Amino acid sequence: MVRPSGIILLCLLSGHLVSDPPGVQPETAANLCTIRLARVIRIPVSTIGTQDPTKSPSVAPATLMLSPGAKDELPDGPDGFDVLDDGSLLITDPLRGQVSSFDSAGKFRKAWKIGFAADSLTAIANDVVVVRESSTEQLHVFDREGQARPSERGTLPERPQAQVVAGQNRGRITRPAIDSAHGGPLEIQFDKPGITLVSLESLGTDHKGDTYVALESTSGGSPEAISVNKYVRRYSAEGKLLCEISDIPLDYYVPPVDELRVHKGIVYQLQTTSSEVRVNVWDTNQMCSRPSR
Amino acid sequence: MVSRLSLVLLIVALTSEQPNHAQPSVIARLPRATRAEVVARARTLAGHTWVCGASNVHASCSRKYISDWKPGQKITGIPYRWGGIDGPDEFNRKLANGLAAGAHSRYGVLSCAAGIDCSGFVSLCWGLSPTAHAYSTSTLRQIAGKPKYNWFTDMKAGDVLDKAGSHVVLFTGYNPDGTINVCEASGSKARVVCGRATWSRFKNYIPLQYKGVDD
Repeated sequence: MVRPSGIILLCLLSGHLVSDPPGVQPETAANLCTIRLARVIRIPVSTIGTQDPTKSPSVAPATLMLSPGAKDELPDGPDGFDVLDDGSLLITDPLRGQVSSFDSAGKFRKAWKIGFAADSLTAIANDVVVVRESSTEQLHVFDREGQARPSERGTLPERPQAQVVAGQNRGRITRPAIDSAHGGPLEIQFDKPGITLVSLESLGTDHKGDTYVALESTSGGSPEAISVNKYVRRYSAEGKLLCEISDIPLDYYVPPVDELRVHKGIVYQLQTTSSEVRVNVWDTNQMCSRPSR
Repeated sequence: MVSRLSLVLLIVALTSEQPNHAQPSVIARLPRATRAEVVARARTLAGHTWVCGASNVHASCSRKYISDWKPGQKITGIPYRWGGIDGPDEFNRKLANGLAAGAHSRYGVLSCAAGIDCSGFVSLCWGLSPTAHAYSTSTLRQIAGKPKYNWFTDMKAGDVLDKAGSHVVLFTGYNPDGTINVCEASGSKARVVCGRATWSRFKNYIPLQYKGVDD
């Protein structure tokens, strides 16, 4: 049944579209470098409860395990990941108490039998991977081959501070001083007509001082439920907006803990669907597309 | 012309009657709770510390049950049990009686396990009776209404984000970076937890405000 309020809303929206002055475009749209999705790494999954013996955990180690959940229970499965120096991937496989390693094309390498359900992992300097146990939040340290380092205490880098100025579509992020870059606050301006900035998050600053920022926005266009979009932007050390990713899918089957990672200018997104685990890849080092005039 | 039409339609939309999902008698009988009380209950459930006994890693009514815990392990947070609505006292009693600590839907609704699920958690936070798991994510709208304020700036602690048939979390506050803090009975974390979350996690969720809240 079509609700009257829905019809009214459609009329309102169409009215706004018609009444907008012609030629008004986002101030940044003409010059904004937009990065398109470069590739998708696809990793097969096995689902708990399927009767196919070839997909049992012992027979299909190259897959990641999913639990479909139920009414009032979210699906469960891979929700944490990171990227190593050679572009290979580590992905949590919590239902098997494993971390699985894949090469940069998604080919299975090996599984680390860590013995607990992990929901987040972070590759840090000095050949160390810090893995978080989901049920206790305890941090465990491994080397990049999956050997436990029980004597080492896991610590994660502090999350840079961010602040959104309510109602003004702008905000600020703190940047660490790295090599020649001085760090300090990075001012973010989000100018897209009809769209409101709701959150900011730093994804990190690279050795050149370029900072990667995740932005969430809403157009308020779905009064029935929460509607948001996600962007990732790359800013130079001088604070110039270099490029933007705007085609980030948010239809998650398993909500990610580690949603986005950046490595050498390449942005990775973990997207666990009901049929596969996808790692979506955008390369901000490549030529970007600009809107045609 | 179009702007005038928009204005008229906007007024009609704002003044039109909203569907009422609740029986007035049900609303009248709801326990009253302040927002501070709601959040305090959530913190109590998330902060409840317990030690898993050897008998609590087995479920006598399920042969395929695998525990999230190890004997002797000290845990903070009431464990997740699909279909459960155990508060701290009831959970402790069941734990002492040797019931399994927590369970997921893949094992079915286990009467031989103790713990709480997402809608049970919200129900307890709002002060509803723990003796019956009366509301699911699909029926919470009988006792909670969709607020008209700006969800991204004006939610109040004790409101929830609900996705019918899927999951519900309790909102506790905004962060300066625009993200939010929530408490929830989490299946993937196997217990009640409180923490920071981005909005993209709650795409297609609906904010709801408990009708028994005392503002």
